[in-house]
Amino acid sequence: MAILEEPIKGTPLVKNFIDGEWVEPKGQIVDVVNPATNQAIAKVGIATKEEIDAAVEAAKAAFPEWRRTPPLARSRILFRLKELLEENFEEVSRIQTQEHGKTIDESRGETRRGIENVEVACGIPTLQQGYYSEDIATGIDEWLIPTPLGVFGIIGPYNFPFMIPLWSAPYAVATGNTIVIKPSSEVPLSQMKLAELADEAGFPPGVWNVVNGGRTVVNGMLDHPDIAGITFVGSTPTGRDVIYRKCGETGKRVVAQCGAKNFMVIMPDCNVSRTVPALLTSFFGNTGQRCLAGANLMIVGDDDKFYKSFVDQVEAAAKNIKIGYGLDESVQMGPLRDNEKKQNVLRYIELGIKEGSKLRLDGRSPKIIGGYPDHCFLAPTIFEDVDPNSAVGIEEIFGPVMSIMRAKTLQEAIRICNSNPFGNGHAIFTADGKSAREFQYNIDSGNVGINIGITAPVAFFPFSGAKDSFFGVLHTQGQEAIRFFTESKVIIQRWF
Amino acid sequence: MRLNTASQAISFLRELETKSGLFYESLAQKHSGEESLFLGFVKENKKNILNIERTYFGVITDALEGCFAFDIDPSLYEIGGDISEGDYAAGVAAALEMETKILRFYVDAAEQSRCLMADVPRVMDRIAKARGERLKKLQAMSDTVKSGR
Repeated sequence: MAILEEPIKGTPLVKNFIDGEWVEPKGQIVDVVNPATNQAIAKVGIATKEEIDAAVEAAKAAFPEWRRTPPLARSRILFRLKELLEENFEEVSRIQTQEHGKTIDESRGETRRGIENVEVACGIPTLQQGYYSEDIATGIDEWLIPTPLGVFGIIGPYNFPFMIPLWSAPYAVATGNTIVIKPSSEVPLSQMKLAELADEAGFPPGVWNVVNGGRTVVNGMLDHPDIAGITFVGSTPTGRDVIYRKCGETGKRVVAQCGAKNFMVIMPDCNVSRTVPALLTSFFGNTGQRCLAGANLMIVGDDDKFYKSFVDQVEAAAKNIKIGYGLDESVQMGPLRDNEKKQNVLRYIELGIKEGSKLRLDGRSPKIIGGYPDHCFLAPTIFEDVDPNSAVGIEEIFGPVMSIMRAKTLQEAIRICNSNPFGNGHAIFTADGKSAREFQYNIDSGNVGINIGITAPVAFFPFSGAKDSFFGVLHTQGQEAIRFFTESKVIIQRWF
Repeated sequence: MRLNTASQAISFLRELETKSGLFYESLAQKHSGEESLFLGFVKENKKNILNIERTYFGVITDALEGCFAFDIDPSLYEIGGDISEGDYAAGVAAALEMETKILRFYVDAAEQSRCLMADVPRVMDRIAKARGERLKKLQAMSDTVKSGR
């Protein structure tokens, strides 16, 4: 198969988008590297405090007029953005593959799920309606108006460079707020393209801003008195100890979606032929770099024959996964985002061996289609006999590593799942409704899958999370996002 | 190389429809008596590509098994390059052979993707049904040629 054409040519400089203008970066310039080819594909500036301050100032200045813009007019701009995203669907998808490494099918899936959030936010004229009660006391009426709050900061991770900021951005601007997006500096190109399209769609200057960078930008947002709230997706230590804590100190609203260690619980009555491909996507899709990826495969029951047959099939399928550059359509798994992340996964594989887990499938010497450098590539790795309390059983690895463990009963499996500090997206595979109900009822997980390996909520449901996977109250996406981005103004009225 | 990903399967379909369209264009040029029928097939092929792509791009999600959706040996469905040589009878016979393979691809691909992205197998089924009608027309033409009418 030929490689699909790369949309990013040469090494363009990624600028900041502030107040409707593309602004040359002032800070240090670093390379954006395609992890499959290990070649620089762009340069990006690490913004200074003055640059983040300028973006917040522009967003603050744009807020009053944008707030006064009727919801239907705001919605029409979002409709235009949706149309532009559809027109640019393939380019946007290929950019993701080029800068992140994921396969083209995964990128297209990411694009679609991002667009779905824009579509949902297009319904803002009804989504943002308040409610009214006549005669709460004789002659007194009361009503609620969801009102925008001002400027919001949106901090995106590297693993979904296009979609994740769209869990927040469309709802924030639809409700009349203005935004400053900070993409990961490792993958800034998707958000650059999105900002181009947002500009073309007609958002007034200052409503939609993008500032590239790292900690300076994050701290600049956290410390800034004019930022009303922050949505963050990233690691648990940063989300819990920095973002959530600092937002509490400074009185900002916060959504902090963090790490995970998801269990896929397999009942012996599951549909094996359909479960195995679902597990491949769950554990090895996006090269394991997602907070809804399967990490621990928990096989229930003491039927050794079933266990052996099931694990044999999973291993055989994992062994056959084609690894390479995601713009090759035959590729089923791309590289890790960078070599540092690969080294982190390698450390966990070595740790797993030291801890006594059985290395059933060793992915450390991947066979790469197309002869690309193995700088960031790993093949699927499978550990067996993993202690749920060991490091590989309990900690987030964020790579293509499956840890297999067993539980005698479903109740024991649920106990083990719930003893893990994370609670993002556990799932059960079964043909039995009673087991499925027992699992969904008792499992301590924000998102729960029943015969679904990736428990990603669609745009009109909140992206939930529990325990160390989520810090905050309301979530991104759908109605909860509308509530997050608005204050409930309640009016009580009496006329004499 | 076997086709495993949704992207591969869609590209392969696009290739089949495009090749088949080119074939009918040249057949229409050679046999002007059936020009409108053959050019109608060309138009349908283009519409099929559009429908498949629109559906695929409309429903693909990273949360389902797009990279593991298919296991297809493309050599079973490959159609020839220049198959418009020969007389009218040979052209119709070549069209029948080609359409049979394309129909089989749609049926097999729809079956394999059935539990993954519901709209994709549905549109494949619809195209397969229309393809079946096309086959009937071609078969009737072939029968007419053979009977010498």
